[in-house]
Amino acid sequence: MLLNKNVVFHFLLFFLSVGYFVIAINLGAPFANNGLQPSSFPLLIGLFAIMFSSILLYREVKLMKSKASSLEDDTQTDNALSGKGRFTPLAVMLSIFLYILLFSPLGYFFSSILFVLSIIIIFSSLEKVLQKIVISTIIVSFGYLVFEQMFGVRLPTLWG
Amino acid sequence: MEFINLVLGSFSLLLSPQILLYVVAGFLIGTIFASIPGLTATLALALLLPLTYSLDVSTALMACASIYMAGMCGGSITATTINIPGAPSSMMTALDGYPMQLQGKGPLALGHAAFGSMVGGALGAILLIVLAPFVAEVALLVKTTGKFSLLAFAIVVIVIAQRGKVVKAGMAACIGLMLATVGLDAMEPMTRFTFGSSELTAGLDLMPMIIGTFAISEILIQAKSNGCAEKMVEALKKITISRRDFIPPLSEIRKIGVMCYLKSSLIGYAVGTLPGAGGSMGSFLAYAETVRTSDEPETFGKGNPKGIVASESANNAVCGGALVPMLTFGIPGDPVTAIMLGVLVINGIQPGPQLMVGQAELIAPMLASLLFSALILIPLTLYLLGPYFIKIVAIRKDVLYGIIALLAVVGSYVATFSTFQMMMSLIIGILAYYLRKHDFPVITLLLGFILGPNLEEFLRRSLSLSNGNPMTFFTNYDSLFFVILTLVFVYFLAIKKPLKKPF
Repeated sequence: MLLNKNVVFHFLLFFLSVGYFVIAINLGAPFANNGLQPSSFPLLIGLFAIMFSSILLYREVKLMKSKASSLEDDTQTDNALSGKGRFTPLAVMLSIFLYILLFSPLGYFFSSILFVLSIIIIFSSLEKVLQKIVISTIIVSFGYLVFEQMFGVRLPTLWG
Repeated sequence: MEFINLVLGSFSLLLSPQILLYVVAGFLIGTIFASIPGLTATLALALLLPLTYSLDVSTALMACASIYMAGMCGGSITATTINIPGAPSSMMTALDGYPMQLQGKGPLALGHAAFGSMVGGALGAILLIVLAPFVAEVALLVKTTGKFSLLAFAIVVIVIAQRGKVVKAGMAACIGLMLATVGLDAMEPMTRFTFGSSELTAGLDLMPMIIGTFAISEILIQAKSNGCAEKMVEALKKITISRRDFIPPLSEIRKIGVMCYLKSSLIGYAVGTLPGAGGSMGSFLAYAETVRTSDEPETFGKGNPKGIVASESANNAVCGGALVPMLTFGIPGDPVTAIMLGVLVINGIQPGPQLMVGQAELIAPMLASLLFSALILIPLTLYLLGPYFIKIVAIRKDVLYGIIALLAVVGSYVATFSTFQMMMSLIIGILAYYLRKHDFPVITLLLGFILGPNLEEFLRRSLSLSNGNPMTFFTNYDSLFFVILTLVFVYFLAIKKPLKKPF
């Protein structure tokens, strides 16, 4: 494998830092009238971010090269991580994303029951789904009591 | 003296059933979260933060204080019973707590932990009550350049306190500072990094930052590693405990010695005042000091109650210490105080020396609650609910995370009633998840975000006042003091060789 995930992540951080710095440059001159302008602080932060991310990227690339000889170990680790554990965080992210999209159109109750059920299934399995639906409904009702009844937060409903 | 009277007077608020309910409920929630490995009091506070909108600010802060105190001592439950610290600050407790559990003295170990927590927590709170007004008076003397140097000092110390990952901590702090620059500039009518989005004009809200950083990223971390849960449930089923087993005999307390309690508490308090140090460092240093000065150092790590006392006294004393910079300078020392600062900001209150001087009546009840939690709730909760807490931590993980996920996502909606904030929580949560996965300390991200706006404002004001001359930071005494302090901390924390492990 040419690049490992750590290198890609650190490269993204470096890319983010450079991107931030470039946008900061476009905000205008950092100094004017003996004072700092809105671009000055972001430029400073951008410089620090580039410095830190460069060090981290360099370390990761160096580490990757030193590990290249023990390629078998990496393959074993990758295999060990494959399976359910590898995709569960992605499933949770997708679940939260869909929940946010459906929250207003479907209302609190329906969207939340689907969401909590999906989280429970992701953290366990597809067994005893009926029991899990009942648990989800109880949790969502509890959430309704806490937010709307106890603390007076108005939650969206399907009927407007 | 006036402030002390105000705090003493605030104890009367605890006679109100509603306020007492919030304080006790906060303590129980904090204990439950701290005792479940993977969950922390920080997560509990992050989840409950949206609810503080509907509470009076003093009541909200009182509940926060009890969660904070509970969070420090709750971790000792699983640290002792199954050798899995419920909270990072209880790591050192496990070293002697678990061997005691194996010797059949688990409840006694928990009793020592609770007593140590009670003494440490109470001493920390008393020191805070006595010293905070003086620190606030001194803080009033710090002018604009000094404020910049102080904030820079706080960020530098937070970063270098993350031993072994200073560069990563620096990068995370930069990301926090970058996020803080999104929105309208504080001094000129100009937007920055909004990419044309009107919803970003006011900047990123603190609520999605906190919920994303601590709650959503935690759910994602747990989703990746839900392995040891079944083992833990099995281990907990085997444990049977009765209430009287929790009370440590007076002879053992005498053997441990008053000095051990006092010294560990003072170490914890002092460590707490340093930004970024936290309960883990406090308990580590107190434990190291206790081993170093002990006549029988070989007994530590094999079930010596002195080790438990040192660790727990120190980590609970950290609570009082960490509130000093938060209340007097507006600099949070750890994630919990960062969220408590969020409670103030959300309610439109500016933390800093003026708060202690001008609005002490808002702060005094919180300190009363901190002391009440240490003196009354820690021993009472362990005695009454200890046997049940050990069973509670065996709750089904799927149901638990279902509840946490719902509270986290809906909680971020409460701030502005917009799904935009929910989406921001998710984005920040994903960012924090990947940072944590790569061993970046996200606390520096949050503190960078919180301190960023003031850091920029004081930097620009200082240079504006000095006609752009950067020497102003070295010619003003208050600023020079913090510059020298920064150099001293850099020397001791980053350059000088670290302490060797005492065990």
